[in-house]
Amino acid sequence: MTASWDPNQQPGQPYPSQPVAQPPNNYLVWAILSTVLCCLPLGVVSIVFSTQVNSKWAMGDVAGAQDASKKAKQFALWALIVGVVVEIVVVIFYGALIMASLHAAS
Amino acid sequence: MPPVELTLDAAPSATGLRADGLARVALAKVVCTGVATVASLAYLHAVNPNLPGHYPLCPTYALTGWYCPGCGSLRALHDLTTGDLASAWSMNPLAVLVVPYLVWAWIAWLRRVVTGRPRQFLAPAWVPMTIGVAMVLFAVLRNVPAFAFLAPH
Repeated sequence: MTASWDPNQQPGQPYPSQPVAQPPNNYLVWAILSTVLCCLPLGVVSIVFSTQVNSKWAMGDVAGAQDASKKAKQFALWALIVGVVVEIVVVIFYGALIMASLHAAS
Repeated sequence: MPPVELTLDAAPSATGLRADGLARVALAKVVCTGVATVASLAYLHAVNPNLPGHYPLCPTYALTGWYCPGCGSLRALHDLTTGDLASAWSMNPLAVLVVPYLVWAWIAWLRRVVTGRPRQFLAPAWVPMTIGVAMVLFAVLRNVPAFAFLAPH
């Protein structure tokens, strides 16, 4: 966008073109935990959006950083949900296998 | 006291009351996270995941036979609670490296809630990028025979 760049704007000027806001949460902790513990593919997507929060914030793209923050959170949450569901399915599957083998043995 | 000052007084106290309630909820979240973590570590310390039958198998390993980046992390955390850093490292070096970051992140969270000061800065983008790349590399390499030292053992 050329419109957002004002060559006359000096750094440290009291009224910058972007409203001053606090940096959004990049949810990196949740992205890492969901990647390690839950679901690698979705967790990696979450880390990618975490990275975008930092890079877009550094570029002054406040709206973009906030959007990336939201997506980082969403993908970490989806990774968690998928991980828990898969874990439950595996436990049930192995439980059934063990029950079946016990039944066959008796 | 003139009435103008009374209305000026009323506004901050009302918002201050609401902010106080929010701060209490935020503090409760931090404290609950800390307590839950310590309780989980205490359980993990008492019930050894190196012995079979206590914890379910990692679904990734059960389904594919591949080690995911989290495989061995439970055993690594148990080893850390006993102070056995070498065993923890051989189980899952990534988990050992991530623990200090998690502790720091929790302390930073607590500090933000207690002081009421919002997040001041974000790390440069290469920091989360490096962490992400390292995790993917770790996930792949620990399944490669030449890098078997990265696998839980």
